[in-house]
Amino acid sequence: MLVIIILRGFIMKNKNRYLPGLLIVAIVWLGLTLSSWFLPLQDVSISERRKLEQLPALNFDSILSGKFALNFEKFSLDQFPFRDSFRRLKAISTFYVFLQKDNNDIYIADGYAAKLEYPLNEKSVISAADKFTALYNKYMKEANNNIYLSIVPDKGYFLADANKYPALDYEKMFEIMQSNLDFAEYIDITDKLDITDYYTTDTHWRQEEIIDVSKKIAEAMGVTDAILWDYSRKTANEPFYGVYYGQSALPLKSEQLHYLTNPILAACTVYNVETDEVTELYNIEKLAGYDPYEMYLSGAAPILYIENSNAKSNRELIVFRDSFGSSLVPLLAEGYQKTTVIDTRYIDSNLIGNYVTFNNQDVLFLYSTLILNNSSTLK
Amino acid sequence: MVFSSIPFLYYFLPTVIILYFLSPKKLRNSVLLLASLFFYAWGEPKYIILMIISILLGYTFGMLIDKHHGTNWSKFYLALSIITGIGILGYFKYADFFINNFRVVTGIDVQYLNIALPIGISFYTFQILSYTIDVYRGQAGVQKNIIKLATYVALFPQLIAGPIVRYVTIADELDSRQETLENIYFGVRLFIIGLAKKVLIANSLGEFCSIFADSTEKSLLYYWMYGIAFSLQIYFDFSGYSDMAIGLGRIFGFNFLQNFNYPYISKSITEFWRRWHISLGSWFRDYIYIPMGGNRVDKYRWLFNIAVVWMLTGFWHGAAWNFVLWGMMFAILLVIEKLWIGEFLRRAPAFIAHIYVLFFVMLSFVLFNAADLHDAITSISAILGFNGAPLITTETAYYVRSYMVVFIIAIIGSTPLAKNIVISIRDNEIGAKVLHIIEPIFLVLLFLLITAYLVDGSFNPFLYFRF
Repeated sequence: MLVIIILRGFIMKNKNRYLPGLLIVAIVWLGLTLSSWFLPLQDVSISERRKLEQLPALNFDSILSGKFALNFEKFSLDQFPFRDSFRRLKAISTFYVFLQKDNNDIYIADGYAAKLEYPLNEKSVISAADKFTALYNKYMKEANNNIYLSIVPDKGYFLADANKYPALDYEKMFEIMQSNLDFAEYIDITDKLDITDYYTTDTHWRQEEIIDVSKKIAEAMGVTDAILWDYSRKTANEPFYGVYYGQSALPLKSEQLHYLTNPILAACTVYNVETDEVTELYNIEKLAGYDPYEMYLSGAAPILYIENSNAKSNRELIVFRDSFGSSLVPLLAEGYQKTTVIDTRYIDSNLIGNYVTFNNQDVLFLYSTLILNNSSTLK
Repeated sequence: MVFSSIPFLYYFLPTVIILYFLSPKKLRNSVLLLASLFFYAWGEPKYIILMIISILLGYTFGMLIDKHHGTNWSKFYLALSIITGIGILGYFKYADFFINNFRVVTGIDVQYLNIALPIGISFYTFQILSYTIDVYRGQAGVQKNIIKLATYVALFPQLIAGPIVRYVTIADELDSRQETLENIYFGVRLFIIGLAKKVLIANSLGEFCSIFADSTEKSLLYYWMYGIAFSLQIYFDFSGYSDMAIGLGRIFGFNFLQNFNYPYISKSITEFWRRWHISLGSWFRDYIYIPMGGNRVDKYRWLFNIAVVWMLTGFWHGAAWNFVLWGMMFAILLVIEKLWIGEFLRRAPAFIAHIYVLFFVMLSFVLFNAADLHDAITSISAILGFNGAPLITTETAYYVRSYMVVFIIAIIGSTPLAKNIVISIRDNEIGAKVLHIIEPIFLVLLFLLITAYLVDGSFNPFLYFRF
């Protein structure tokens, strides 16, 4: 109120040709300033799938160490009013004003959003191969397992080179993995995939489009006949905005998330060793969460046991996987009495033996090119 | 705290402006001083004491110099002022540099001090020294009000990255200044334009330079684009910051001098240094070069003066040999121009002179930005085509295409073309009226776009922060 009175007096006293322009700037600036100060704080960003920074604790130590200033900077960015709209404005400016080819390493090609993944990190790929070899030597060498390797190409495999974006040397990656994992039979699934098998706004593939991929892997492992390959397709009610939707900050269209089921899959149970919980293959509650893709096997977990009481045989499968495996494994699980799903991003390889006994199972290493190119996450 | 940050734009600055204009005039220096101390402490909570000590020393020495004016005591206190100022700067900025070189030369394993460089120390030290020297010379009256002197030194618009403001420039304004609507409008306009230069152009070019640095597929074209990108980045970063500082000063009634005057249109290195970082160049000219005799000495003494000044200029920018070499490179070019090619450059077609300046300035900035001497030699060799890099790679082609519009805007923006167009529109009566209406709308839209880039990004320090 005091400010308004002073402003009014100022305006009356200073009829000036610059005043209108100054007022226009001041009103917008002050409006955003007051919004920053007084709008309620947000807890999470749905588009970015993360918690937002809250007001940092103010104390002598945090001030003196500079932590308060650093965290306040993060807080002010995260809590800025109309944050998503401003990020969208920046993305639109990047692509359509400055005509840049990507925004925060996210590009749009042929209607699909993808992340620039370049160049090939040979050390990372070799490191991944070494880790898998170590697992083989520790658990499988004497254990009469049938071992398979399959690499899931990311969207860049189909989009990057074709649209003149920097592309990974995929062939070299495949070659490194095959030559270093000579104990595993390599299953090439690239011939069963094209870009339409992936979500437009997410990094992952669509479960309903990878039946061919599952068949090829099942055929290599000799369980094709144990699977009916007959599904009903269910559709999530909620619109699906993939991970690249938030990262790109562009007004991309939502998609529909589908999942494949049948009475056998519906009867399977999934035991999470970490949480000691039993769920179904598809956790419908996750569809309303930050990442609906987590509905497949309830998302990331160190070790899961999938029990299939309707399996035609007593064969067992062990899958070392990343998130792409979440939507593929249910399609393979139908062919096995028990499927153990291991994500070595969340469990130290040395501890696996406490939960899994390797003896006479099929073992599948199923990793995406993205993880292999950034394998420091594998423990 | 940096100007191009949400805390500054939407928390600090609005608060300071409101408090400043609500305060009675006699308290406004105090408001600015407290705000400036807060501003500095925000980024450097530990070293605020050092700045306060430097200010107190400057104040004390100024008083003593003035009290003993015309006597040897005055000279003595001036010497003390210089020794303490340079001593503090030397300790915090150059101690480990000297220790490192001592280790290299002698092989003796002396422990590094690992001192963090206080932000802005080079700027405020030079400002304090300019004050005490000008008081000694009788060019400035002593400032007996500690608040006013402290306000001058600590004034947040120019505290951490310049321009180096001479005390005499704003001495009168410390006592009484006009905060008119016209000044405020022009200040806001200049501030927003400076912010756009930094956030929209310099930061984008900085991204390109980072991508280049991380690349394992450097090509000849990539090296050249990097050289051009960094030269443009440092210009837009630094001149953008100077514009913001000058704009902010104007809001509060201070008139700082221009610090950049389209240096990339220069036709000689001599001209370049009259247009680039003007406040620094003039500081070294007035306080080092001219007292050493300038060019009013014999040739060999003049060469020595040039070498010393430019070695110090380079050294001021950073505690590393590549900065010293950067300064010496300009010394050599200036001498060559003075002795041999100056006349040729004046008579040569403009494009030859421009290419000559831009080429050597680009090489100098590649040297300036190198991690070390080896990196500098590698980069410069590559630019000259000596390292066998391929002409172009897929990655080069991609990023050149991706940043081409940014490059074009930056190149055009580094010339007075846009300014001249605006001036010619303003010369027309109708054009002036139209511009008067659309300009504030344009500034608001620009400000919103800048905000968008800031919100999407994160921490974006200025290049000159280390000085």
